[in-house]
Amino acid sequence: MMAAHPPIRILTAVPICDGHDSAINTVNMELIRHGVEVIYLGYHRSVKAMVRAAIQEDVRTLGISSYNGGHVEFFSEVVKLLRKHGAGDIHVFGGGGGTITRADEVVMTRRGVDRIFFAGTSLSEIVAYVKKQYGGQRKVALPSLSKATHLTNRQLAKLLTAAETNIPIPSLKLQPPTGGCRTIGIAGPGGAGKTTLIDELVLRHLTLKPHARVAILSHDPSGSVSGGGALLGDRAPMIYSQDDRVFMRSLASRGHDGGLAACTRRCVQVLQRCGFELILIETVGIGQEAVPFRGGLTDRTVLVMSPDYGSRLQLQKIAMLDVADLVVVNKSDLGGAKTALSEIAQRLESNQRGQQLLTTVAKQHRNAGVDELFNKLVNP
Amino acid sequence: MSILAEINKAIGAHARQVERHVESARKDPVFRRKLLKRWKDVRGSVQTVTTPTGLKLPKLALPPTEEPAEIARYLYGEGLPGEFPFLNSAYPEMYLEPAPNSEIRIPKSEIEEPTRLFAGLGLADDTNKRFHYLTGQQRTVRLSTAFDGPTLYGMDSDAEGVLGKIGEGGVAIDTVEDMERLFAGFPLNDSNCSVSMTINGPAPTILALYIAAAKRKFGAGVVPKLRGTIQADILKEVQAQNENLFPLDASLRFLTDMVEYTTHHMSRWYPISISGYHIAEAGSTPIQQAAYTLSNGFTYVELFRKRGIDINKFGPRLSFFLDGSLDIEYLVLPRVCRKIWAIGMRDVFGADARAQMFKLHIQTSGRSLVAQDFKNNLTRTAVELLMACINATNSCHSNSADEPFTTPSEEYVRLAAHGQAILLEESGLFKHMMNTFGGSPGIKHVEKAVEEAILAEFDQIDRLGGVLSAVEHRYQRSQIQTAAHRYEQQIHSGVRPIIGLNRYADTKGEQAEPKVVRTPLGKQKRQVQRLRDFKRRHAKQSPKALDRLASVVENGGNVFAELIETVETCSLGQITERLQQIVGCYRPTV
Repeated sequence: MMAAHPPIRILTAVPICDGHDSAINTVNMELIRHGVEVIYLGYHRSVKAMVRAAIQEDVRTLGISSYNGGHVEFFSEVVKLLRKHGAGDIHVFGGGGGTITRADEVVMTRRGVDRIFFAGTSLSEIVAYVKKQYGGQRKVALPSLSKATHLTNRQLAKLLTAAETNIPIPSLKLQPPTGGCRTIGIAGPGGAGKTTLIDELVLRHLTLKPHARVAILSHDPSGSVSGGGALLGDRAPMIYSQDDRVFMRSLASRGHDGGLAACTRRCVQVLQRCGFELILIETVGIGQEAVPFRGGLTDRTVLVMSPDYGSRLQLQKIAMLDVADLVVVNKSDLGGAKTALSEIAQRLESNQRGQQLLTTVAKQHRNAGVDELFNKLVNP
Repeated sequence: MSILAEINKAIGAHARQVERHVESARKDPVFRRKLLKRWKDVRGSVQTVTTPTGLKLPKLALPPTEEPAEIARYLYGEGLPGEFPFLNSAYPEMYLEPAPNSEIRIPKSEIEEPTRLFAGLGLADDTNKRFHYLTGQQRTVRLSTAFDGPTLYGMDSDAEGVLGKIGEGGVAIDTVEDMERLFAGFPLNDSNCSVSMTINGPAPTILALYIAAAKRKFGAGVVPKLRGTIQADILKEVQAQNENLFPLDASLRFLTDMVEYTTHHMSRWYPISISGYHIAEAGSTPIQQAAYTLSNGFTYVELFRKRGIDINKFGPRLSFFLDGSLDIEYLVLPRVCRKIWAIGMRDVFGADARAQMFKLHIQTSGRSLVAQDFKNNLTRTAVELLMACINATNSCHSNSADEPFTTPSEEYVRLAAHGQAILLEESGLFKHMMNTFGGSPGIKHVEKAVEEAILAEFDQIDRLGGVLSAVEHRYQRSQIQTAAHRYEQQIHSGVRPIIGLNRYADTKGEQAEPKVVRTPLGKQKRQVQRLRDFKRRHAKQSPKALDRLASVVENGGNVFAELIETVETCSLGQITERLQQIVGCYRPTV
């Protein structure tokens, strides 16, 4: 059974030692406008990072934009490593100005790359190719959940694809959640620094617990005007979460209101049974009225805000302030942070729920506020 | 209010001051008399030149007017070539043929011979050979270095996953020994030799490697003699080019340490080249390029001043690097930049005349070149060169026609260099008169529109709290990305004609491809071997050197001064990693 035509999910990226992201940004925008869900991994990314992300996201294809040379080796390594992980069903295509020659293309396609686009290709040609080549239905072979703590990234990714597309996972209910697993929901408006904060929390967790595994479930909005496409961009700013002990999955809201996706609960249920110590759920940038984590989905919830939320009146309207266990004022180095802090403190006091208020500067290396948040939240 | 609001005010105040002078020229007899006396003197001092065809022309073209108000508007609003606000040029005589007895007002070594060609390929020895080939045709030694991807990201050639990228698109530099090989046979201690290095994220380490290599060859006394430029513009990296290693705050500190050092010890070095080139190549509009470059520049000035470095010492050592493309804005863009920079430096920062000059290197646009019918790129580059010279750029790089495919081949590098020579030496456009093109009504109109648009951008950035705060809001990035997308859509719809691509395209099918220059894997592995050998030989000293560096970073000392010692025993990648452990890694913005 399969939903009629779920949007195509693809991963795009620029190779290691290459910062040329102008072309890929433009292609991303064009694909999204035409209904594709693009998970963007960013620039200066290694073969390993690309393959890991492609497998975890279980995308149909990986699009690579390469300018700085070395593309024959790079693309070949990507294909080889995908196949090594049994993920040969994830296709690879790419392009890169004029640095890739016709002769290179011959070698690259022989080694398993679907298609190379040359300089001067129109955007519509690329979009049409992606939709035609990667738009068809896809078979999903479900692994059993009976050995859920020993699943490979690949198997887990397939389970999440099933959860995402509403395919029943019969063994799910038979399996108890992993002991000691903490699920933390992180909400906040766009630009508050949720992704940076999550990456910094992951760094601390990986450092403190050398064998622990972490899962991140990250949400971004689907465009209603843009034909349902979405830019799932939370992997791109990640530094420390590009790690074999971190499993990350990006979900588009696909029209679901409130900051998460319709399939979020099913995905969380899968992850909770797969041996992770820590599961972090990041919402889309939420509005004032949203209360994303309901019905026991999470163990703790955090609201991340930046000091520039506007007036005190705006503050009164933020629904999450009533239910979050912890409220974090990030970017507390900005002007206006003091005022924000005292206004929010007052607001929380009136709730009389014992909610905690913390300040962080997540962009700062080894920030003491993030340390404190980590201790309160993940490592109490 | 950020510094940009003050700049905007100063530009407004300057315009009003010019109007007051114009008014005085009309109404104040004393002022008018002095003005007309000066005008008479200026006109009297203009020499006459004779062209090869026998035509007699004034060396300096002044507006043909006796009207005091017009004279005041010209002298105060534009300034004579080489005079505030430097609209016409930074120096009086830019490309004139040296006359045997002409009085040159600036020391000769300060005049930039405009030809400076960018090179870098394979290993240090290969690039060294290319350098010797290129300078064989030049009167002075002007080297310009491109680095490969791993070097640009501060990584070693033996780092995981970089094989295939070593020596591609530029030269691979890991150690001081590579740097010695790169410049072997060049008189780095000579005032006629200058070296430019295009690198940003790891710029302090790379300059330290260069200094260490020069010291090995010429002794410690060479340091104050070194001439050249390192790009080191970290703000445009965050906005457009994406080659960052450290969080912005840390990068700015390392940069300021370097500028402090060069200001005190290397007075002939340009420690930063404030660059719009990569902003434009990432797809910005011409206005965005100018506005972000200038506003980044003012931000650096503020930062260096805050450190206590004398603006009149570092100000003359700032230089600029712009893209010259085909849009009409480029007919005047550098002129307007010179004016805004001069007014800002004088009236907001109180800098003296030498620190007011916007010294400019232009490279023709890589983005404007296309692979289809690639020989058309020769014409595109020629037109871009023409506009760059009309704007009296201090130096220029003309792209090779085969750049859409590859590291430029010798054939097209030579044609690109000759393009400049044809324009400046063969044609009569620039060698007889100082300012053949300034002052036409068309140019004035475009100037006005461009200036207004740049100031409007300043205003936008100021509203976001200034450059650094706007960067945090992703303002410049998102503006550039939107412009890039629009550009592509315009090509697609045909609003923007690209000859050979969306107009007059050759429909006969496959086009010939030029020869591609690649670095063979065997050679790449040789670099890895060399590096491992260096690391082995310095295995004892390097941990201690890195510890010393770390303690300087932690204790707030000048990191650059220490780096010059560290590079003696440590590789670029070892240094980058250690610094990242202390200050963190750069978090990519998208």
